[in-house]
Amino acid sequence: MHIHAYEKLWLAASVLLILFLLGSVTYGAVGPGIAMVSDSEQAIDPGALDEDQRFSEPRVEQVGENEYAAYVVARQFRFQPDPIVVPEDSTVTFYVTSADVIHGFEIAGTNANTMVVPGEVSEITVETDDPAEYGLICNEYCGLAHHGMEGKVNVVSQSEFENRTNGGDGE
Amino acid sequence: MGRNETAHAPAEDVSGDTEEFDPIGTLTLIGIYFVILVLSWVYIYYIEFLGRDLIVVG
Repeated sequence: MHIHAYEKLWLAASVLLILFLLGSVTYGAVGPGIAMVSDSEQAIDPGALDEDQRFSEPRVEQVGENEYAAYVVARQFRFQPDPIVVPEDSTVTFYVTSADVIHGFEIAGTNANTMVVPGEVSEITVETDDPAEYGLICNEYCGLAHHGMEGKVNVVSQSEFENRTNGGDGE
Repeated sequence: MGRNETAHAPAEDVSGDTEEFDPIGTLTLIGIYFVILVLSWVYIYYIEFLGRDLIVVG
């Protein structure tokens, strides 16, 4: 079979393109460490969140040196705690669950975005940078007031975070 | 006549056209599409996606 030289050229180019796309995704996983939302968390009873150690009192707590865990409950039609206050330059893991129906958890304008399914705990880890205020929105239709379901994620300086925590209103 | 054409055409196909046919326009068009694809991907993945805050790492 004779294949024209030009055709060989664009066949080779399209193979290179595919390798480039796959290579980018591999680079993202290996270099910056991009990860998926995992399903490693145990299932919980969405009707008994008030008896759950982590979710009875939605909060942000320090779990290691410069590592924080944010336990967030999404329910019709708000997020708890609100605002979610986390310190700058730290690693924050959000554990998000729903008390009623399927919600979304999207920190607007960022890559932090997951579904929130009742009975499941969505776990995403992010690295915070400089202090910033992010909007937090529900992106799964969850009922009549879905459009008003929003919260805030505030990245604050380390000293401000400590002040809030020690002041007693660190949610 | 019909017999003549059928006998003639395959012989022409096999031997003649490969070197003369030079679709430079198609090559250029595919080249342009290729460049657009690569540039779009670089923008979407490396600048827009990786450049955003709060990258999910776990």
